[in-house]
Amino acid sequence: MRRFLITGAAALLAAALAACSSSSSPSGSSGGGANAGSGPSGTLTISNEQGTEWNCSFNPFNPGNLGEGITMGQVYEPLAFVDTLENAKVTPWLATSWAWSDGNRTLTFTIRKGVKFNDGVPMTAADVAYTFNLIKKVPALDVNSVWSVLSSVTQSGDNVVMTFKAPSVPYFYYIADQVPIVPEHVWSKISNPVSYADSNPVATGAYIVKPCTPQNITYVANPDYWQPGEPKIAKVLYPAFTSNDPANTYLATGQAQWGSQFIPNIQAFYTSKSANNHYWFPPIANVSLIPNLTLPGLSNPLVRQAIAYAIDRNKVANIGEYGEEPAANQNDIDTPTFTSWMDSTDAAKYNYAYNPTKAKQLLTQAGYTLGSDGIYAKGGQKLSFSVINIGGYSDWVASMSVIQQELKAVGIGLTAQNLAQNDYLARLYAGNFQFAYYAQTGGPTPYYELRQWLYSANSAPIGKNASSNWERYNNPATDKLLDDYALTTDAATQHQIVDELQQVVLSDVPFIPITEEVGWFQYNTASFTGWPSPSDPYALPAAYAYPDMGQVLLHLSPK
Amino acid sequence: MRFVLRRAGFFLLTLWAAVTLNFFLPRMMPGNPAIAMMGKFRGKVGAQELQTLEQIFGADSKQSLPAQYVHYLGDIFTGNFGTSLFYYPSPVIDVVRGAIPWTLGLVGVTVILAFVLGTGIGIISAWRRGGLFDSLAPPLLVIASAIPYFWVGMMFILIFGLKLQWLPWSGGMNLTDSPAWTPSFIGDVVEHALLPGLALLITTIGTWTLTMRNNMVTTLADDYVRMARAKGLRPHRIMLNYAARNAILPNLTGFAMSLGFVVSGAILIEYVFNYPGVGYMLLQAVENEDYPLMQALFLLITVAVLVAILLADIATAIFDPRTRTSR
Repeated sequence: MRRFLITGAAALLAAALAACSSSSSPSGSSGGGANAGSGPSGTLTISNEQGTEWNCSFNPFNPGNLGEGITMGQVYEPLAFVDTLENAKVTPWLATSWAWSDGNRTLTFTIRKGVKFNDGVPMTAADVAYTFNLIKKVPALDVNSVWSVLSSVTQSGDNVVMTFKAPSVPYFYYIADQVPIVPEHVWSKISNPVSYADSNPVATGAYIVKPCTPQNITYVANPDYWQPGEPKIAKVLYPAFTSNDPANTYLATGQAQWGSQFIPNIQAFYTSKSANNHYWFPPIANVSLIPNLTLPGLSNPLVRQAIAYAIDRNKVANIGEYGEEPAANQNDIDTPTFTSWMDSTDAAKYNYAYNPTKAKQLLTQAGYTLGSDGIYAKGGQKLSFSVINIGGYSDWVASMSVIQQELKAVGIGLTAQNLAQNDYLARLYAGNFQFAYYAQTGGPTPYYELRQWLYSANSAPIGKNASSNWERYNNPATDKLLDDYALTTDAATQHQIVDELQQVVLSDVPFIPITEEVGWFQYNTASFTGWPSPSDPYALPAAYAYPDMGQVLLHLSPK
Repeated sequence: MRFVLRRAGFFLLTLWAAVTLNFFLPRMMPGNPAIAMMGKFRGKVGAQELQTLEQIFGADSKQSLPAQYVHYLGDIFTGNFGTSLFYYPSPVIDVVRGAIPWTLGLVGVTVILAFVLGTGIGIISAWRRGGLFDSLAPPLLVIASAIPYFWVGMMFILIFGLKLQWLPWSGGMNLTDSPAWTPSFIGDVVEHALLPGLALLITTIGTWTLTMRNNMVTTLADDYVRMARAKGLRPHRIMLNYAARNAILPNLTGFAMSLGFVVSGAILIEYVFNYPGVGYMLLQAVENEDYPLMQALFLLITVAVLVAILLADIATAIFDPRTRTSR
């Protein structure tokens, strides 16, 4: 999915379609049809706009293919599955078990027996060791920089032993869940694995690509898949959609059963069309207002606290995001996804509910006085800033105009600069902004997002690209907390550290979470059951989430 | 002959200028392809992958601009456009080759049909000026041409695609088809092209009709037409060989230009109908700073337009001897 780029044309078509609701009955003709006999049956169609046609490359180390969610999970499989929505619950995948030892400096995986690649060759621990040493040898394949913490990976019988330079518990997620295991007998013959297209992937997954055209990927069930009775769906179609409207209409008419994109006015356009149409948008990260901490005014925590009090996050969520993304909190904890991590004691202490009076009070306390133009200033330095935003994201532009009004009401000036995406990102990474509006990618616990925001190694001097600490926050005590988390597998200690990290965000306000970024997910229950839901959140439900898509396909079955 | 040589020389000069602009313009855009790719997958791939992507795309390579330019000119002559960054690791030539038949098929056929039909209707309307046909067809077509073609496309989707469910409205073929020269596949492709093709057709006929009719009306009043009538020639010979032949010249130049622009595709039709083609691909290439793909597509458009203009010049010279001798 891309975020929604609503053109006039799109809005018009959406409105027109919403108006003529009764006629097009969701036939679901392409779906379902369970056979009486055993074996996989039915055809599932996915509707997820990518804005491009397929290049039919399934190289699982190419961030482009990964981002589309077409290769990792259902075709290539990782060692284990980490469920973001169930408190990082780990399920075995190609590994049957694992253990940390040597003070969390050694991680040993026991590799599953009886797994075959789809060319009939057995998958062994040698393939796993080969995969990790391949991405060591070719750093461009090491998408998650796992070799920044690893020191060696060796095979020992059915085991693969990984040693680390230092205790690195959080890296389990990147190593076990995010690295696709590739066959040594195929990849060792490839001269350049970076530019390898891999159009007929040899992998262990439940689905085989057969065939792929620029307009559609057809996945067929792997007849020799290692999990007995899986997969239950015979065929999965993944058409390429270059724009949002045809993709949405495909969903609304029931031609596709699994959607992963924004649908404006979803009740009228989608759920009202059929009782079988449902949606669920689990929050996974926080869209935040990012101050440039190196600038005068914004380097003052009192000013940032004032801003956090001045913004009515619910109003932003309702007006800017049509209520489809919930309001965020200053703890930077996505609720309900990570509610168990929430430090509610400290949240209550600061109570960052909408409070413009408190905001003004804080600005006065910081030594600012209200000027005749209605803007606070100190020593000639006005609290008047610009914010960069992506002009193509109509929801973010709408959100920003709400934020502007609210800041103006407490005496802080904000002018929006809506930029083209490339221009925007270049400025965000290089720190060439006063305020920015953006989100992190997050991870299976709140720690990952907090680390992305706060770790000083993710920062860079202004003018150099920072990987995720765009506000340029630098606090050795916070770095220590983040490092300590990596030392322990003890849940109580981890919770305590995340609590302390929340206190950092609450008191220092290095960034201001505004709305919760969600995973888009629409589904039709006419022909298929087993969809992820709030009561059974077994995987991230968006089709672009990897390797989660593979898990969803293993849970689905025709009715 | 001198005329053709002069035109050819001009053609080469323009081509060089276009090719050079084509090289420098994309490189003046902010950002780089790796940053653009990051933007495309926002929320899906982590920020540390920026470095990975920069390595893959060679965005950090330090070759100087003049050296890149020389390299680029050489590549153009050998037809080597490199690897697409957006469709990495597909070669640009394959990406373009996959999209261009759809565009030629849909837009090319539609432009030719629109020209033939539009001009034909224009000729008949002018010939029977004031008749029933003349008072109905041209005004209706002109009104149709004032409607945005994507809007017509959306109405077609609503009526024929969703309400009546007569015709497919998304994509260029059935999802499970694999391209082959079989009757069923060709039939399927034609079926998918009907709605977008019709939407383009009925909104483009009008301009041809209007210009043709008006030119024709003027030539019909000319002395040589009166002369032809006086000689007692058959009406349809007068209509086609005397009036239409002279009236068609401006339309012909316009037609050549349109043919040239066919390869730039029809972005909004592709957008509305999710139809494959180079129009949306070009937009994507620009948005994602895919220099190699952008350059190949711009070059294709430039060459097609220049060739079309050259051919139009030559055709005009054949139809109208006066242009050949003009200094």
